[in-house]
Amino acid sequence: MATFWHSSVALLVALLGPFSLFSPSFATAADEQIAYRLKWLINASTAGDVVAEAEGLFAAEGLQVAILPGGPERDAIREVELGRAHFGVASADQVIRGLAKGAPIVVVAQLFQVNPLNWIYRPEQTTISSGDDLRGKVIGVTYGGNDETILRTLLQRHHIGEEEVQLFSVRHDYTPFYQKKVDLWPLYRNAQGVIIGEKLRAAGEAFAFFNPDQAGVRFVANSVITSAKLLAEKPELVQRFTTALRRGWQLAMAPEHAERTAELIHRFDRETPLPLIREQLALTRELVAHPSPADIGRIDLVAWQETEAIMLEQKQIDRPVDIATALHPLAE
Amino acid sequence: MDEGERPRAAITIDNLHFSYPGAGRPLFANLSLHLPAGGFHALFGPSGIGKSTLARILAGLTACSGRRSTAGPVLYTYNTERLPGWLTIGEHLRQVAAAPAATTTLATLEDRFGIDHCLNRRFGQLSLGQQNRVNLIRYLLQDFQTLIMDESLANVDEGTRERIIITLKEHYPDRSFLYISHNVLEVARFCRQIILLREAAKEPQIVAIEGLDATAGHPVSQTRLERTVLEILHAG
Amino acid sequence: MLANRLLQFLLLYFLAIGGLLAMKYLLGLSDYVIPGVAAMATAFTEMAAIYLGDLLDSLRVALLGHALSLLLAAGVGILASRSTALGSLIRAAAYTVQTYPIVAVAPIIFILLGDGLASRLLITILVCYFPLLLTTISVLTEPVADIEHFFISTGRNRWSLQVAIRLYENMGKLITVVAGSATLAMVGTIVAEFVAADAGIGFSIRKALYQSDLAHILVALFLVGIWTSIYLGVLETAGALIEKKWRNPAGGG
Repeated sequence: MATFWHSSVALLVALLGPFSLFSPSFATAADEQIAYRLKWLINASTAGDVVAEAEGLFAAEGLQVAILPGGPERDAIREVELGRAHFGVASADQVIRGLAKGAPIVVVAQLFQVNPLNWIYRPEQTTISSGDDLRGKVIGVTYGGNDETILRTLLQRHHIGEEEVQLFSVRHDYTPFYQKKVDLWPLYRNAQGVIIGEKLRAAGEAFAFFNPDQAGVRFVANSVITSAKLLAEKPELVQRFTTALRRGWQLAMAPEHAERTAELIHRFDRETPLPLIREQLALTRELVAHPSPADIGRIDLVAWQETEAIMLEQKQIDRPVDIATALHPLAE
Repeated sequence: MDEGERPRAAITIDNLHFSYPGAGRPLFANLSLHLPAGGFHALFGPSGIGKSTLARILAGLTACSGRRSTAGPVLYTYNTERLPGWLTIGEHLRQVAAAPAATTTLATLEDRFGIDHCLNRRFGQLSLGQQNRVNLIRYLLQDFQTLIMDESLANVDEGTRERIIITLKEHYPDRSFLYISHNVLEVARFCRQIILLREAAKEPQIVAIEGLDATAGHPVSQTRLERTVLEILHAG
Repeated sequence: MLANRLLQFLLLYFLAIGGLLAMKYLLGLSDYVIPGVAAMATAFTEMAAIYLGDLLDSLRVALLGHALSLLLAAGVGILASRSTALGSLIRAAAYTVQTYPIVAVAPIIFILLGDGLASRLLITILVCYFPLLLTTISVLTEPVADIEHFFISTGRNRWSLQVAIRLYENMGKLITVVAGSATLAMVGTIVAEFVAADAGIGFSIRKALYQSDLAHILVALFLVGIWTSIYLGVLETAGALIEKKWRNPAGGG
């Protein structure tokens, strides 16, 4: 029943969202209703969000949170600025790009301590021991996506000219990788990495992952944002939300809670079999609770500054944004 | 009447029953009609009485119950017909008058019907009266025994109309024409037999009246004309 | 006609831009949500030439796809109008194909045909041929009784003549649908590029969307609008000329 009501609230917010432009509602007095826009659909990468809601951690803080799934056309920054969502999940490059264009947003938590973006490859066909080995390879890239920025930085740092590699425009369909037309294919290690890996394993093929973090490119991934206005006007509300969310992630990442977390995710992500969700969760734990569970939600200032530097270097932004001013880690 | 003595008919309909789909009452019930072979005849009656429907049944274009027999091909033409727009009038008429005899007839008809000056035009560029005449000409070039003309001269001026009717009588003495018109004077003067179609409730539904059958050499007197007109109007 | 189309588009485009800017300044929104005039101008100077190249690439596919759609719709439409059984089967197939969202079908197409021109063309055709097909079927199955009556009565009614009469008599309708489907051809091409291809203006829009760059998207939409208006205007002008020559020739000669 609870799921029904939460789904209904989510649906209602999704339906009424477009009409609420001129009535941005921060009326969070009694039983605060909060809209929380995710970056993508509910899967292992949103484990903490789902657990915080399902286990009543938001409710314990007096918050009624509608978790709104994201998607390619959803932009949490835009929705937060327009007042359609109170909180949202955005990747670091989105945040920095938004700040460069004056979006009045702040970062209140960092979900991934290690960027899950990897490139999958077949070790029998491709040897990648360092960034230098990218030379001469056919590399999949999402033009306009943060993997393009990361790849270009990698190439630049290893003095590999664009003419020395062959970039292949990727989409949701992995066929070119299966057909071995592409050597390296970008994916999220903890999500698609498990699913694609399973298929390759079933086909008897060996596979490995190339992690740009290990090649020296630190690029922050998903983080939780809210509006500067909400933080200024209702800091205690932001604090309560962030606290509940962090507890949700801590619970979700706790090995003893893994089975329950997997079941909760499976309720929304029916397409992924439960064993694979368990595997995804184990990998997510490595990326989120890194180096230890105490680091869950920690905002890594150095990594953010490096991300900003990369984006400046790659001309993704035309001026520095002084990212430190937009980071608001909230102590529990 | 013995079968041998019975006058030869261009079209015979016996025991015709017809209703529009969904209509409560039949339009025609147990109706019989004999259109005489040869001559210029009329089908006359008020608007909406079913003249066009009867004409289409006579031409075999509308299915009905009853017995229908014809002496030779029957064609049906109506006043709102159009010619394909991509050909000129001349081109179209030459196409549909393939036989050499028809070509000769065509030249005569173009002259007598007064359309020889508009042969290079397209159908859409003609006046309504010219369109009526062009349409009628192409039917006259076909192989027919009976031609049903459903208001085929509706937009033609009176003088030209008379000239056309007289031409038809002269050139096609052995063919039958069934002319549908609302002009009582015209049908009284030029038609040999006037088939008067009345409401379905009236018995009989069809009354045949002798017309004056005027030709170029045999004009009719005003008195006879008035008497025939009165007879038609009273019978209606 | 062409000038009208361009003027109408420019009016609508700048009205929309005006609306966006009014919203931006009234609500105090950042350049991230709605770019300001300066950001739009910068995006235009930086991207117009690049996007024009992309757009011409898309336009090439759209034109080719549109032409093939016309041929396909004419061929299938004629087949569908000839026989009742085959016709209803083709109509059913056409409706079914149309109900599939193209974004769902696109990956299958790309698996089968690769990510070259063929896939883009096929998706363009799938998007724009349906109205053409329906119009062709409706035109070819609807008798023009006042013209056909003579040919039927005199035993001259050939199938080719019947097709000619029906096409000729519905020329205005056909020209309107052909011109209208030009817009759909453009939409189809952009959708194909958006979903999967790695060239064309749809691909550029997708890249700009990834970066939430509305200013770049507005530049792309401006160019798409201008060129679609030109294409539409040219087709309408050509249609009007054809109609004038064939349907209403001046004078009697």
